[in-house]
Amino acid sequence: MVAPPALEFDLINSRIIVLLTMFLPLLAAAELQVVVIEGLGGEERYAEQFAEQVVALESAASSLTTSDRIRIFRSGDFARETVVGFFAELAEALQADDRLAVFLIGHGSYDDHEYKFNIAGPDLTDGDLYDMLNEINSGQLLINTGSSSGALADRLKSDERTLILATRSGAERHATRFGHYFVAALSDGSADLDKNRLVTAEEAYEFAARQVADYYERNGQLATEHPKIEGEHAARFSLARLGAAQPVREDSQLRILIGQRDAVNAEIEDLRLRRDGMTPDAYQAELLNNMLELATLEEDIERREAELANER
Amino acid sequence: MNVRLAHFSLALIAVAFAAQARDIHYGAVQHPDLLDCDQLQWRGQNDEADACYRLLLGKDVPPAIHAEAAWALGDLQLANRLFRDAAALQPDDASIRVRWGDLFSETHQDGEAMTIYREALDADSGNAFALLGSARVLVGGFDDEANTYLEPLLTDASKDAGARAAAWLIVARVSLESSNMAQAANALDEAEAILESGDWPPLELYALRAAADLLNNIPESRYTAMSLEYNPGYGGIYSIPAHFYVITRRYRSAIDMYQRAVDIEPGLATAHEELGINLLRDNQMARARKHLEVAYDVDPFSPATVNTLRLLDSFTDFELINDPDIPEIGVLPVTLRLHRDEAAVIAPYAIKMTRESIAEFSRRYGFELKEPVIIEMYPDHEDFAVRTAGMPGIGILGATFGYVVAMDSPSSRPPAEFQWGTTLWHEMAHVFTLEATNHLVPRWFSEGVSVFEEWRSGPNPGVRIPMSVYNAMKEDLFLPIAELDEGFVRPTYDEQVIVSYMQAGLVCMYIDEAYGTRKLKDVLYAFKEGMLTGDAISEVLGISPSDFDDDFADFVDREHGSVLVNLEEWHRTQQSIGQRLLEEDWESIVGLAGHMIDILPQYIEPDSPYIAMAKAKEELGFHSDAIQALEQYWHNGGYDPAALTRLSGWLSDADRARDAIEVLQVVNLVDPLDQELHGNLGDLLLAEQRPDEALLEYQVALALNPHDKATAHYRIARAHNALGDREASQGQLLLALDVAPNFRPAQRLLLELMRADSGNEHN
Repeated sequence: MVAPPALEFDLINSRIIVLLTMFLPLLAAAELQVVVIEGLGGEERYAEQFAEQVVALESAASSLTTSDRIRIFRSGDFARETVVGFFAELAEALQADDRLAVFLIGHGSYDDHEYKFNIAGPDLTDGDLYDMLNEINSGQLLINTGSSSGALADRLKSDERTLILATRSGAERHATRFGHYFVAALSDGSADLDKNRLVTAEEAYEFAARQVADYYERNGQLATEHPKIEGEHAARFSLARLGAAQPVREDSQLRILIGQRDAVNAEIEDLRLRRDGMTPDAYQAELLNNMLELATLEEDIERREAELANER
Repeated sequence: MNVRLAHFSLALIAVAFAAQARDIHYGAVQHPDLLDCDQLQWRGQNDEADACYRLLLGKDVPPAIHAEAAWALGDLQLANRLFRDAAALQPDDASIRVRWGDLFSETHQDGEAMTIYREALDADSGNAFALLGSARVLVGGFDDEANTYLEPLLTDASKDAGARAAAWLIVARVSLESSNMAQAANALDEAEAILESGDWPPLELYALRAAADLLNNIPESRYTAMSLEYNPGYGGIYSIPAHFYVITRRYRSAIDMYQRAVDIEPGLATAHEELGINLLRDNQMARARKHLEVAYDVDPFSPATVNTLRLLDSFTDFELINDPDIPEIGVLPVTLRLHRDEAAVIAPYAIKMTRESIAEFSRRYGFELKEPVIIEMYPDHEDFAVRTAGMPGIGILGATFGYVVAMDSPSSRPPAEFQWGTTLWHEMAHVFTLEATNHLVPRWFSEGVSVFEEWRSGPNPGVRIPMSVYNAMKEDLFLPIAELDEGFVRPTYDEQVIVSYMQAGLVCMYIDEAYGTRKLKDVLYAFKEGMLTGDAISEVLGISPSDFDDDFADFVDREHGSVLVNLEEWHRTQQSIGQRLLEEDWESIVGLAGHMIDILPQYIEPDSPYIAMAKAKEELGFHSDAIQALEQYWHNGGYDPAALTRLSGWLSDADRARDAIEVLQVVNLVDPLDQELHGNLGDLLLAEQRPDEALLEYQVALALNPHDKATAHYRIARAHNALGDREASQGQLLLALDVAPNFRPAQRLLLELMRADSGNEHN
């Protein structure tokens, strides 16, 4: 049963909402549905890893959406038909401007013809995934952290779908490390490159891809996985918030300050676009002014939020 | 007679033989017209010889003789075709295949050469020159099977005299490399008698006799003049003795000799090659390249030449970092050659450590370095190998040629396999022992001091002895002091080189403890006077080498006897721990690891029981005991980066920031390319009010091109701010905010700086 759309605005403070209006239009306008499908581990160590990753993903999803919009299929507790049926329900429930993030955590295989995600009973095939996702009309992000996941790139590619895959092709069949690092990124401040306290799919991918490459290089091993990203929307698809969300405050002074801050952010964006036509000194000088203004406004916002909290 | 093979040095000899323009064949081919030409060549009448060979090419002689003439004239492709034709015409003629094999051998194609020698031996099982050719190839490949081929030549007087003479010359070379002067002298006498009776040219004989004189401290040998009289253009009279300077690490003397060789024989490719390689060891890059290019022009088949030229080409990817930037009076210059991808990361630590080692060893050994020190680090181990020996495939971590040190860089091996800082310390000790003795220090003593200084004064001190060495101790495999060099140059079992390193280190430790540091230094200077090991021990320590051996054995027994008695028990317990770890039987592991630690508390290799103990204690909830276990591991010289990083975190959590810092500084010696390490270390240092050190760590972290650049810049800004450099701090903050405008900590610090400036202006 698919949960009704949640009031996502209840969970995101006004600061974030305004910020997202500028930089994360998809998030601001949409509801987020998260689906995590945990495959069979095969060996105990993989089963443990997958279970830990699923717990971490649930936690990350909870920072952005309500629990009734998070669906976890735990390894061994479901069959292929259950997943297919759930996606059929999702296709009915999700609106065009909603967003869907699907995580496949497990092992995959590819026989040069068909990709299979290993679950109890009949596996989920690339054909299943194609059908399940194509029925859904909203923006989609599919993250498959397992072996041979690269086989899905051509099959599932579409304009409204972003794919993050642990391997560049189906031929990379060894167990992967990508999932470990991708999930770690969702709670690691160093993955949040722009320090807006939201980790996007793109940030998590870049963090994990680099960690994977570093792992093989530093250990002197031939890399058996090469992560891959397809699609244009990863930078606007947030997957986790770092730190607790601020409660929503209805306050005119705060609203003005936030508006001013967003205006300065817009000026900074504009400055960046003009950078190539400026001397370094001129750019630095203007950047400094903007940053001081922005920092002052952030300080004022924090102060006002503290005042409002004390008033309560 | 068995000729034991010295691996490293024989490789050089083999090459030295190989590319001389058509070496002396001692009768492997007997055609009178050819011998007439050869005689001219052996006498140095090169123009006449060339004319003779050209004439021979036009004569109606067998194809194999045409092949010899083409070979002598340098047309190796034609020679090869002619030999092939000759072999096809006379498939049962072993002598044709022998010379064809010699051609392959001379062009460094040993596998093909051996195949053809085998075909010759199939046709004529006792063919002396096929045996000789096979022996030469196998000697070059460090293969003891060479003895099988040499033996008949040395014992069977019915074999061809020329082949027997050449076999004795091989024995002489190997004996000289082994410093077995008596055996060498005997071999040379045997060779000389045969050569005289057969009227074969004595050029190689003279060169080896000159080499023997050199090793007997007679640098101006009478055989040099005799050789020059016989053939004024025979470069081997210098290049063959030069090799013995190389293997005794007197590189500058070798350079002089090789230069003389190419002066009288400009086409001697092997001498140009060796000259080039040894000039590199002396940091004379341009001159080295010139000679290597000449070598390549003459002999483009030599792997050592090609490898080394390729390495030189790759130097465009390296940066030279001078310390100080501008020479200062009274400050010894240190130059680093580091790959540009890691130069900014490694240089600060390498310079600091090099300076510390120079100060330490100058004081301890009473010797001031007289020339700049050059340190090269190679991220690709095979580049380091080529730099060291001209060929890939050597297993060492570092090499010191005097004032030039070459070594693997930290990125050349996986973390935890290689303490680069300790290796640098080890090599810097070699710089002192080599230069303080004018390179006369024996290998064992130089290695012994380096190992001992790793343990005593190195950046991560502690006596680290691998288990294989304890096993060797138990089996009583340590060598007498007077023969300890043998363990390095002629190992007789797999682990003997590392066993010899450790024995040498223990010997130096023993001298230091039993006789005092002053005596250890005096032994070093005895070598400078040209003393051999036995004499130096007797003279300086006042004890015969054999009595010294007895005392040393007592020392080893005192220090390690209890370990050796319980070694089997230790191994059994270790195996049990492995099983218990799989079962997560932490209670048992505590008991077993404790037992192992009682037997051998110094053991800190990656399978150290301290690590198992810490893991078990942590699992059982005894956190402070876990910390204690890893602290013991650390204090004993443990260097596993994962274990030490864990310890540092625990110490930091326990408000022991200073200890946490020290631990992470050890990790730096193993895994300096870990960005997180530098960031965390910088944070600890900054919290401890050590902003200058923190700044270094943060700058290194940034040089590693971190994923999170905003944080990297912000950290540097904090360090600058702590050092009072607000302008630099502001610059770094802007870099951070340019990446991440909403980075609140950076915003706060920026405001703080501006307000401070504003306040200062108002004041």
